[in-house]
Amino acid sequence: MLSIKDLHVSVEGKAILKGLNLEVKKGEIHAIMGPNGSGKSTLAHVLSGRDGYEVNSGSATYKGLNLLDMLPEIRAREGMFLAFQYPIEIPGVNNTSFLKKALNEIRKHQGKEELDAIDFLDLIKKQMKLVEMKEDLLKRPVNQGFSGGEKKRNEILQMAVLHPQLAILDETDSGLDIDALRIVAGGVNKLRSDENAFVVITHYQRLLDYIVPDFVHVLSDGQIIKSGTKDLALELEERGYDWLLDQPETVA
Amino acid sequence: MNQTTSNFRNWVETQSQSDTSFVLSPELRNTSLTAIRSQNFPTRKDEEWRYTPLKAIAESSPVALVDTQISPQQIEPFAKAVPGAHLLVFVDGKFSSALSDDLSSQDKLGLNIRLMEDLDSESRKQAEGIIVHSKLTDDNIFRHITNSLATSGLFIDLKPNADIEVPLHLLFVNTKQTSTSVTHPMNIIHLGQNSRLDIVQQFASLGDLQSLSFPADYIQLDDGSKLGLYKVGLESEETDHISNCAVQVANSASFEDHQYLLGSKLTRSNLEVNLSGNGAEVFLRGIYLGDKSQHLDIRTYIDHAQAYCSSDQHFRGILNGKSRGVFNGMVLVREHAQKTNAQQSNKNLLLSRDARVDTKPQLEIFADDVKCTHGATIGELDDNALFYLQSRGISRQDAAQMLTRAFAAEITDEIKIDTLKEYIQQEIESRLTETHKLNA
Repeated sequence: MLSIKDLHVSVEGKAILKGLNLEVKKGEIHAIMGPNGSGKSTLAHVLSGRDGYEVNSGSATYKGLNLLDMLPEIRAREGMFLAFQYPIEIPGVNNTSFLKKALNEIRKHQGKEELDAIDFLDLIKKQMKLVEMKEDLLKRPVNQGFSGGEKKRNEILQMAVLHPQLAILDETDSGLDIDALRIVAGGVNKLRSDENAFVVITHYQRLLDYIVPDFVHVLSDGQIIKSGTKDLALELEERGYDWLLDQPETVA
Repeated sequence: MNQTTSNFRNWVETQSQSDTSFVLSPELRNTSLTAIRSQNFPTRKDEEWRYTPLKAIAESSPVALVDTQISPQQIEPFAKAVPGAHLLVFVDGKFSSALSDDLSSQDKLGLNIRLMEDLDSESRKQAEGIIVHSKLTDDNIFRHITNSLATSGLFIDLKPNADIEVPLHLLFVNTKQTSTSVTHPMNIIHLGQNSRLDIVQQFASLGDLQSLSFPADYIQLDDGSKLGLYKVGLESEETDHISNCAVQVANSASFEDHQYLLGSKLTRSNLEVNLSGNGAEVFLRGIYLGDKSQHLDIRTYIDHAQAYCSSDQHFRGILNGKSRGVFNGMVLVREHAQKTNAQQSNKNLLLSRDARVDTKPQLEIFADDVKCTHGATIGELDDNALFYLQSRGISRQDAAQMLTRAFAAEITDEIKIDTLKEYIQQEIESRLTETHKLNA
């Protein structure tokens, strides 16, 4: 589904990703862990098409398409989703009408019929239960006045409604208390299937207690320096990153 | 008298000497004619006018107006802004009884609406008294031109305690003339104690036409009364519009004003509010939405002359193309105006590199126990918000339009007349659709 080969990316002339390789197949959950500044968020942003990142070499294909050539909105319509580390507040844009517009753009692109207001409301109310979100948040502007936890739940709600094939969660666990963490992870677990895939970017192992990954990768200085199963995450929890950083030649 | 002559000034002088039947009394007209003759036509050297290009007006040579007949169908696109309102239509400055509801039909509700030219001497004295007692710090030439040349006008007099549910809709339509035409809409409004009224003033053009419009409003709100005034500017791209509105707000009275400047080549709106009684309130909202080479200019002057008054103003500009917006707001809090609560905010969104905004929020405080804030911002669409919307499948063009619409909606949401709110949101929407198509 997603294939990243020898990807080199810089920001304002500074190299951040330095030859990153990653293969994600349908039905898999990949966790990407690593210390601060290792390039985790850069990876998420490049995959979602954000401006300001220069791809110097390498490739990223998604469902066989050249991902790096696609506009951000086309990536979304092709079934990609990024859950933001810092969801943006958008004053004056209603949360419900925003999400309805987004879903219908995606449905149109995929040759499906657009949902009318009633069908959409049915869908969103069902999905809101999944993330235990209060209904009045639907009437508010996007993320405006939401608490940190509400913003993250709103990301998972959007994911549930838009039903992506590939979801990238960028440090969705940061700033969450344990209850919110459980709700967010519960949402992801209900959505996982043989047909979709997740890339979970996180600094801490604790999210992986709730979202059990098939693979764990350690990102350091722009490269994946070690890959393994969920046991690797436990080992990282116990020993930290330092024992790996001392041996950068260990390439996955 | 050292003022330079100009085509336009000569035209004013000639007009004022003609045997037309003018609406104001000779005394008031003479006062205004003296004011015109003793002052220069404003230029950019005048502080209050430094951003406003008036050269084209000074050099214009207006022609006499020719009567044009228009049908109800032609005004329908404008009349629909407030369906069910009491509609009064002025065509090229002349009251059209054929297109209007009956002037005197509201008498039974305590709302007396009369043409100035039809007033008896007592009412005339009352109406002119409001002009005489109005205070304008920018006593500019344009209101004096209207005072001396207006041939018609409205006197709206609401009796004490009258509470009028149905808005009064004043529609000023200009039609195509052989060359530049000039109109002088004049409204004198008096609300008696504890009365309430909403008025929508809409300015529109039928077709592409060159015109100059100099509306002058004089408003007196007695104790405890409430006026909602909505100004909707939709004139053609060749119209210059300079309006002056002077408002006196007495004890515990409330003045609410909404301005939507969406049309014209140049609009300059001067609004001066004198909070002359304890506990008086003023609430101002507005949007100027410009494209191409439009110049849209709002000046407000709030005089907190008494204690326990509040003023709350929030204007937003959306500028595209080579358009230019100006906000010049002054809040004066006098020495004895204790417990004043004054807020002033101006936010601007530039949609193109060539668009420009000049903003000047000002605050002068001489009292010591007050709560006053003011601020202004100028910015572009937020890249982070655009990307967020794109990342959910929404095209950049649609995202830009959503964000711009949202920026406007925070102001339009405050319109208290639902049908008018919808109408204005649609007018803004259609202009933004055009704008974002061009920018895409």
